[in-house]
This record gives sequence, structure tokens and C-alpha cells, in this order.
Amino acid sequence: MSYELNRRLAAKREPLPTASDLDPVTASIIRGALETVCFEACTHLGRAASSPIINQSNERNSSIIDSHGRLVVGSVGTPHLTFVTQLTVRYGLMHQDDYDWGPGDVFLANDPDHGGGHLPDYNVYAPVFDDDGRLVMIQALQAHQGDTGGKDPGGFTLEATDIFTEGLAIPCLKLVHRGEKRRDVINLIERNNRFATFAGDLAAMIGGVQMAVREHQALIRKYGTDNVRAALNYTVEHTEKRFREEIAAWPDGTYEADVWVDADTQGTPDVKVHVACEVRGDQLTVDLTGTDDRPHLVGVWNTFANSRGYIMVQLCSMIDPEIPKNEGLFNAVDIILPEGCIAHPPPNKPAALGSFHPACEITEAVCIALSNIVPQRAQPQVYKIGMPNAVIGFNANGMMWMDQGVDSRSMDVSAVKGVDGWGSSPASLGSLLLSMAEDSEARFPVLNISREMVTDGGGAGQWRGAPGSLNVKKVLEPVSAMAWMVSAKHPLRGMCGGEDAIPYSNRFLVGTEQEYKIELVESAQLPEGAVMAYQHGGGAGFGPALERDPEAVKEDVLDEYVSLAAARSRYGVVLTGSLEEYDLAVDIAATQALRNKMKAESAAQGAAS
Amino acid sequence: MSYRVGIDIGGTFTDFAMLKGEQVILHKNLSTPEDRSLGVMTGLEKLAEKEGMTLGDLLGQCESIVHGTTIADNTLIEMNGAVTGLITTQGFRDEMEYRRGYKENIWDATLAPFKQITPRRRRLTVPERMLFDGSVYEALDEQAVREACRKLRKQNVESVAISLIFSFVNPAHELRVKQIVEEEMPGVHLSVSHQVLPRGPEYDRTSTTVVNAYVGPRVTSYLEKLVTRLQEAGYKNQLMVMQASGGVMTREYIDGSPIRVLASGPAGGVIGSAHTGVAKGSPNLLCVDMGGTSYDMSIVLDGAAPATAGWNMHHRYLVGVPMVQVETLGAGGGSICHVSGGEIQVGPKSAGSEPGPICYGRGGVEPTVTDALLMLGILSADAEFAGGSFALQEQGVREAFQVLGDQMGYGAEDAAFDCWRVVNANMIQAIRRTTAGKGIDPKEMVMLAYGGNGPAFAAVHADALGIEKVLVPKASPTFSALGTLVAKPTIDEERSCSCSVDAPDLEKMRTLWNQLEERANHYFRDAGFSIDQVECIYQVNMRYAGQNFAVSFEVHRCQGAQDFSFLDAEFGARALEAFNARHMQEFEHIREAELPEIIGVRLITAVDTPAPPVGSGCSAPRMAAAPVKRRRANLGEGYMDIEIYAGNALLPGYEVTGPAIIEETFTTIVVYPGWKVQVDDSGDYEMQKTP
Repeated sequence: MSYELNRRLAAKREPLPTASDLDPVTASIIRGALETVCFEACTHLGRAASSPIINQSNERNSSIIDSHGRLVVGSVGTPHLTFVTQLTVRYGLMHQDDYDWGPGDVFLANDPDHGGGHLPDYNVYAPVFDDDGRLVMIQALQAHQGDTGGKDPGGFTLEATDIFTEGLAIPCLKLVHRGEKRRDVINLIERNNRFATFAGDLAAMIGGVQMAVREHQALIRKYGTDNVRAALNYTVEHTEKRFREEIAAWPDGTYEADVWVDADTQGTPDVKVHVACEVRGDQLTVDLTGTDDRPHLVGVWNTFANSRGYIMVQLCSMIDPEIPKNEGLFNAVDIILPEGCIAHPPPNKPAALGSFHPACEITEAVCIALSNIVPQRAQPQVYKIGMPNAVIGFNANGMMWMDQGVDSRSMDVSAVKGVDGWGSSPASLGSLLLSMAEDSEARFPVLNISREMVTDGGGAGQWRGAPGSLNVKKVLEPVSAMAWMVSAKHPLRGMCGGEDAIPYSNRFLVGTEQEYKIELVESAQLPEGAVMAYQHGGGAGFGPALERDPEAVKEDVLDEYVSLAAARSRYGVVLTGSLEEYDLAVDIAATQALRNKMKAESAAQGAAS
Repeated sequence: MSYRVGIDIGGTFTDFAMLKGEQVILHKNLSTPEDRSLGVMTGLEKLAEKEGMTLGDLLGQCESIVHGTTIADNTLIEMNGAVTGLITTQGFRDEMEYRRGYKENIWDATLAPFKQITPRRRRLTVPERMLFDGSVYEALDEQAVREACRKLRKQNVESVAISLIFSFVNPAHELRVKQIVEEEMPGVHLSVSHQVLPRGPEYDRTSTTVVNAYVGPRVTSYLEKLVTRLQEAGYKNQLMVMQASGGVMTREYIDGSPIRVLASGPAGGVIGSAHTGVAKGSPNLLCVDMGGTSYDMSIVLDGAAPATAGWNMHHRYLVGVPMVQVETLGAGGGSICHVSGGEIQVGPKSAGSEPGPICYGRGGVEPTVTDALLMLGILSADAEFAGGSFALQEQGVREAFQVLGDQMGYGAEDAAFDCWRVVNANMIQAIRRTTAGKGIDPKEMVMLAYGGNGPAFAAVHADALGIEKVLVPKASPTFSALGTLVAKPTIDEERSCSCSVDAPDLEKMRTLWNQLEERANHYFRDAGFSIDQVECIYQVNMRYAGQNFAVSFEVHRCQGAQDFSFLDAEFGARALEAFNARHMQEFEHIREAELPEIIGVRLITAVDTPAPPVGSGCSAPRMAAAPVKRRRANLGEGYMDIEIYAGNALLPGYEVTGPAIIEETFTTIVVYPGWKVQVDDSGDYEMQKTP
């Protein structure tokens, strides 16, 4: 539990020893078979879990780590969970003897200081041995748990100053020994969780990895250990080669970016992430030196493994999406995370909120840095929302309910070169299903008044960001509500001259004399009839708005993504006709003149400053 | 003699299966994309010719014509449906764009947006609001509806979808909006959400309604044209149309609910498979259908392929009506083989039928799976292809694979062989993913293979999955057309009904089921059936609070009129027991501490019609068949001299031991090493792994 441990966890792992000289086609067929087992484990978890966030909203992930601790298959489920898993498993691998690893064992880990992300991301994994007792790989499943047994339900404590406030931290715990469940251990874990559905979820995770282990053993028998090892080596090497080919095509240079979180949860402003991406031939270095390291910051500490993972989520979205996701990606990149900064915290820092921010700002910074050289894929894979407004109340029978507010909405979908932002979230969040008014209103006394995109709510640009939505809800009985605001002062940034997204804003008691804006954190008692209005920052623009095709601007006005006024003031487009009559047309000459004037003004301004 | 004809229109071929008493007559001709009814009429003329009759005589003696159409799917693929508008509740304008957050590829930031049926300018909102219990929270602003109509008229909207929040609980506002739209936009096509899909949540219902509005006018006008042509040519009965739920129904019914034909193409084959499997004593089937562009997989359990409504994404739109579940992989005969990132890959791009594989000789230059089969000797330029419509050509094929081989560092034959291995691996993984989703171990299944290319691959996949028996029906190339003759006239509809399971609202359930029954009886009567013939299956939709999808299960089944005595004091307890069993089967657990809720009632009504007979058993004396020739081919173990058999000479009782190739009129069956095949009493092939 130290920086030294993190260095050892992150050290590069060698290929597996093998005498096999396997052909690439057979190797890719074995890789495909392993991917299918991963998929089956995920599907099993989805089917057997009790909590809707896993079995219906799909927040889960499955991956395979080899006996050297390399991520070998990691492309199933949620990208933000995919690249964290291998360090947790490595910690266990490094202590195989201490923990008495053997066939039929299943382990659990979630400790931020032992290779983990934040506490709710439970990682259940099981080693796979061949018939001669040799360890070949480890099957892992991750899923976000609704609770971690800490001070607050869900594990998110806004004022936490250490990890122990947030819940139970588990470096490596054996749940199943040689095929036998350890009831005492499992009961302990279940007892430290507020949710009744947890026991079923944990059982489903155990069942999922056990099923996968049996499939892997059959596969190893069919192909032989040496061939499977060769296939694992091949798949990692292949990915590294493909990634390096992409990097080699990027121009050499150092590309930097600064991104800020508005404040820590105590109000300390401007928490900074600095990244420098250096491209030299086919080698990429991502260096976070210069990132905020003020030790008194609260709530904005992102774990070491999570920082690596969030960097990789962005890098992965900037290369050919067909490249298999595995350790080869890490082999092609040097990641430098200075010790003591918010991306590599000292031991025992809280981890829950940091996994959102600055985690997403790290992702965003990598995107901005590389946006000039990979413009066609420069979409930040982020959620800039601090926390949706959580509404909590009690049923007549005294049971607590919570509307977590993960509602249908539009946020943070930036444009890339050639494609306007579209849909509800960036690509990497596209497997999570958002909740619906007709489901939640039958459960909670909270009315969904509106959640439409707002006109001019998307960053202007040659390609336009998707407008953010204004989600308005009314509580139908007295409740308490919690909020955490970021991205108001520092909204999602535009790329390559595109405009920033609009700021997030959040207001309570809307329409009354007491209406107020949430500046940072809030925990309020709301009376019956109180209205909350959460304006989501939309996506940012890509490229200069004055370069946008005027016809596209006209279409945007017809669709009320962009107002007539903004068409003129932000895009320099002059339209004739009226929106009311659907007969808008571009006045080409007037548009050209206006744009020339605006460009000249902007150049003059630039010269003056 | 009376006839029944099943017709299935695919992308490349239009397939016919004609039932003449117990005899099945098959035919296949090219589809006619510009006016698909033309290809249908051409084929019917051919069938009449085969019978030595005029088209008029044949149609005059036709008891029924059953039709599977891809018209709705094509409308969504080509995105050329009606100009559609949406009227929805104020505050909910953008659900069609959010799609509950769903994106097709989580790794691709460049993924193009889906093409919007209802762009934002045609999504209009009106002030009104119902609550979850059906009470009115805000009255409908009728003037706003008229204003919305004005805006839609201005935009030349031809079809209007209406979807208001909680309309499935209380449709009053939605019905009033419908009236106003009828007044303001006379003649416009209307789709009303509580009628199209009377259940929540809002995105699922709205999307289904919007798609219905979009494809509706095209489906209706196509069927009208086809019916006119058939009537003019002498057909006197109702045209029955295949639905995605696996049943068929009259054109009149489909006109009112056109979305029900979407994704109906593969359903016929699955229903035919279930029928065949039951007859042959194999009620648990893994069905694989490989054609020119896709590999479709489906599962039959206990002789049935129940239609379910879940996250059914079709052509980038969610469609919530019940569908027979078919998973599709973009791997077919036309799938293009290429080297990408130093690896051999197959598909998902397809050469389709135009230009098609290189060996079709129609200008294709990229090597495809069919070309690989030709290189491997599984297909041959000397044999007839597709029933003799044309012969395959070798020219250019070897050269194309050599281009791949050059990139991989070996020869053309190795490249073709690796393409074959890769496409097999893709298909095997896809099957495993399909069965995993259902919690099924493929080892316990029998495989049933059909489609033009299915039988050439089936045994390789079966082998890899541990399946020991593969059925290949003689009619496999036109199996979907045959399946439409098996499918029963069916109406499968649901109504929202929210109540607790410990104190269910029996009166409301009775009323809703009664309404559904009367509605179904109306259509069955019109189709010429008597109500006594109608079988009613009463189902309940239930879920735990917070679950996205409900499970449906049967609570009662009866024939003809119903007195609803099953709605007694014990009903809730029985429903709970059935829910627990169903939930356990689907999700492997129940929540001990929670009670699920009833959210809807469903009624499936169906009439038995005579299905094509399927024989079983192998009572004919076993005989070793004699090969007609030999050729060099690679069936996975290197090039060897392989025996070739003529399918039309293989009578019941004949056996062929692999490695061997059987050339059928419209397909090629490969008997891989370690397998043998036997022709059963009804002429179908049964492949078995040899010990």
C-alpha cells in the first residue's frame, strides 16, 4: 500500500513462455473463443444479478488477465471499467502464495490502494489452471455495486477525507476455496451492504466467473496450454502493433492541455489536470506532471489504476475501433502519473467521487491534447455532470427509496471532425440504458416535467455539439435531495476552435421566491411541490463555427437546435424567410459579408490581445 | 385438388412452397425489387405451369396464399417511408433522439447518427399530462394540437404518430388528439401509441409508434397492390400475411397494425423448424439459416419459439411488439473476405447479389465466402448453381485469394481455407453468444440447418459446439416459405393493467381480456373462421418494481368463448407461482423479500390450419449410396479426393459417410469427416456424428 506498490503493479509484464509456434489465424480464432467466454460470463451476470443497474442497465464488465497479469481480453461491457481490472488482479497474483491460490478459488477485490478503482467497483476473479496445475489466466468480472457499507448509502460521501468513511476496502479476499464457498467470509461481505439485492449480485458474479473458468479449461484442453499461451501472446502483440501503427501515423511532437474541475467538495477552486502527450515515432507518452497535488483537497482524488484506465478509454476511442482491447495498448504507451497528485493519490485518500472528477477531466485533457492530430475521433469520453440530483424519501413502511436521477437526457456529446454530436451520451457510455418517466413515476413521487434539449445548448462549431437537456422535476411529497455541481465554471471544452459546451447549472425551488442555484454541494429538505431544474452541459463544438456549412446551420434552425439569433451571432449565417413558415433560405451574399466582417473583427481582437 | 401456397420474398430470391394435398412443391425465382409483386406473380405462373394449369385455374383452386414480406424492413433499410410527424407530451420532445442513451458501437466516436424518421422540426409537443394512475394532472390544450397540425401540414406530413405520456393507462387525451388530427389533416395516416403498443415506458412505445407510422403507408399500399393482382388473376380467398410474432393474419388486420410485419422474414423459418423438430422427435433446436448476406440463429424449446418483446433494435429503431427472437450475424455467401490489420477477416461487408461473388461472373471483384467454397472444391463450376439458374465461374477467383495470400505470406488456397476457418469461427462464436443469452448449453440441442448456404457449414459448427445431430430438411432452400404454411393465423396483443399481485384487479383484467377477445374474434370471423375454432391463451406481464422488462407467462388456455371463471380468489397466488417459475427460468433467481407487480394482460388467439406434413423415422432399409463423381476438395483436413453425391438420387434409407458432398437442386450439403448422413422416410437428411 504505497507508491512502491503502484510502481510494481504497473511494471511491464513479459510475454508468456511457450514452445508453440502458432499461426495468426488460429491465434485469432482462439482469441475469438476467449472473447465469447468473456461475453458469456457477462451475460450470465446480467441474467442472474438482482439489481437492475446490472441486469438491465448493463453496468458491468468482463475481462481476462493472463498468468503474468496482462489484460488479454477486455472488450466486453463498460469501457470505463475495462482498463482498471488488471491491476487489482495483479496484486492478487503477486501474492499467490500468501493467499493460497489454487484451482476452484474465487477472489474479491475493490481496494483503491491495491490496484482498484473506487470502492463500488467490485472485481470478482478466478484463476484458471490447466490439467497439469499450471496457472494460465484469470477470469474477472466487474460491476458497480449500489452500496459499500460506508457512511452514506451508495458510498459517496461529499466530505469524506479518507477511504474508511466510504466503506469496506478489500485488497484480495478468497470467497471460494477449491470450489467450496466460504460462508463466513461471504456473510461478512453481505452484512456490510445496505441493499437486499447485493447477495444475489455477488452470487451472480461468483457464478459467472466459475462458469467461465469451466469454459476456459475446455478450451485449454482442446488447443493445449502452449497454444493458448501463444494465442494470448499473439493477441497482445497484435494490438500493440496495431496501436503503434496508428501512433506512427500521428505527427511527432508534444501536445499539451489543461483542464480544470470547478472546485473540490470543500470549495477550493480550480483543481487542475495537466497532460502532455508526446509522440515520437510509434511511441506515445502520456505525462500528467503538473497536475494538482495540493494535499488538502477533498473528494477529487482519482485512484492510480483508474487514472491509467481513464487515459486508455480516451486513447481507445481515438484509434481504429476494431483493434482488440488488451495489454498491448498499455505496452505502446508510457503513462507518467506523478506521486501525490490527484491522479496518483497518497494512501487512504477517499476514492468515490474522484472516479468521476478528476477522472473525466484526465480523459478530456488527453482528448484536447490529441485533438489537433486525431481530429476525426476527438470526442471526449466523459460525463461532466457532478452527480444527478438524488431524491430520497421513505415509504409508509419506513423503507428508504432513492430516485438516482439517471434519467433520459442529453449531455456531453461533443462533435468530432465530420460528425455533429448526436444521441444522449458520448460513444463509450452507449451501452447503459437510462431510466424512463413511466417507470420511475410509478415507483417514486417525483414528476418529470420536462427534459428537452435547449436551443443553443450545444457548442457551436464547424461541427456542432449536441445540445444539453434541461431536466425539470417536481417532488410530489416532502423529500430530501442531494446534489454535487461541477462543470459550471469550467464546462466541456471545444476542439480545434470549436466553442465550449454550455455550463451545467442546477436550481432548486424553481418558480418560488426562494429559488436558488446550487453552487457546489447541497443536501436539502424539499417541500411538496418543489421543482428542481438541472441544465446539462451539452456537447462542445469542433472547428470554427464560421466554417460551418450555412445550409447545415439553416437545418439546425429549422430543428431549433440553433436559434435564428445565434445563426447570425455565432455562425455568421443570414437567413431569409421565417421559421414559422418553414421557408428559411440562406442569403449567400449577406452570409459571406457577415462572416468576413466577423473574421476581421476576431483577427483584430486577437492582434489587440 | 386444393392448394395452399407459401411465399417468402428475400433480398435475392423469392421462394415458393406449394402444398398439394400432402405433397410439397418448391420453386425459387429472382426477386423484383422495383415491384416485388411482379416476382410473386411470375413464380405463381411457374407453379401453375408445373401443374399443367393456367394461373387462373391454380389460383381458383387455392385455399389460401400465405405471404412473408420484407417490405417494412426494406423501408427502414432504404429509409424511404412516409413523411412522418410526431405529436407528444410537452417536455418529452427528444426521446426519439436520446434512445435511452443507446449507441450501437461503444468504441467508435465517428459512428454516424441514425437517420431520423421524425427530425426535431416534425416532433411537436402539446401541453397535457396524465399520471401513472391514469388521473389527469394537466388538461389537454386542444388549441396547441390544432397548431401542431398546422405545422405538420406545412411540412407535408403524410403520416402522424401520437404518443402521450401514460396514454396506455388512460388514453383519453390521445384519443382526443387523434380526433383533432383527423379533423385538421383529413386523409393522413394515423398511428396512436396506446393502440400500437399499449405499455410503457415512453421511449419503447413512442419508437414503436413512430416506426409504425413510417412503414405503414408503404406496407398497406404494397399489400393492396398484391391483393389486386391476385384477385385479378383469379384468387378468391383472403391473403394471409406473416407477422414477426410467428403467426399469420389477414391483410385487413395488418393494415391496422403494419409494424407487425417488420422482421417477419426469418419468423417463417423458425416456425417451420419448430414444426419439423417436433415431428422428428427433436423439440429442442438450434436453428441456423445462412443465405447470401446473413447468418440467422434462433432457438426452439419444447417445440415452440415464443415471441417476446424486449430490447428489439431493428435497423437502428426500437420495436416493442412481440417477435420471434432471431439473432443475426453479417456472414453469408456474399460476405467479403479481406485482410485488415494483418489478419484475415470476413464481412460484415457483403457483395450481395449484385455484383455478388466473383464466381457469379457479374462483375464482382472482391473474394467472398462463396468464392472460398469454390476454391475449396465444396462448390464446383461444373455443377448447376441455384437450381440451374446459372453456373459458377472460376475466372478471377484464385487471383483474388492470391492478393490476400500475398498479404499473409502464403498461397491462394491457404488464404481461401483461412477465410473458411475465420467465417466458421465467427458463426460458432455467434451461436454461443445467442445460447448464452438464454442460458442454454448447445450440447443439449439438435441443429436444424437451412437457407442456401446453411447445410454447407452446419456440421462444422455442430462439431465445435458439441452437438451430435443435424437435421437438413429436403425443403431447406425454401424453408421460410414452407414455414409460412405452418404458421397459424394469430393475433397477439396486450393491454396495460397495473395492479398488485396479492390483490389483483380481477374486474379490470376481465374487461381488458374481454375487449381483446372481441377484437380478435372480429378479425377471425372476417377471415372466415368460426369462434369455436379460436384458441385463447391468456398471459400476464409481471415484473419486480424497477425492472426494465417484464416477463410474460400463461395463466389460462381455452378453446372458443370464455366465462373467465379462472379469475377466482386464487388467481393472484397462481400468477405469483407462475411468475416465480418463469423468472427463475429466465434470470436464475427470484427476490424472496419482494412481491412483483402485474403490469399488463396479453391475449394470444390462434386458429389451427392444416400444416405441411412432416414424416419421421428411418424405417426404409439402409443402403449405401453410390457417388456420381469425385473431385478435389478441402473439408477442413486438407485437399482430398472427395465423393460427390446427387441429392435427387438419394431416396429414403440411403446413407452417406463423410467426407462427402451432396449436391441438391438449390443447396450443397457437406458431410464432414467424422459425420454420416441418412435420408429419413420423408426424404429429409439426418446427419449424425460417428462415434
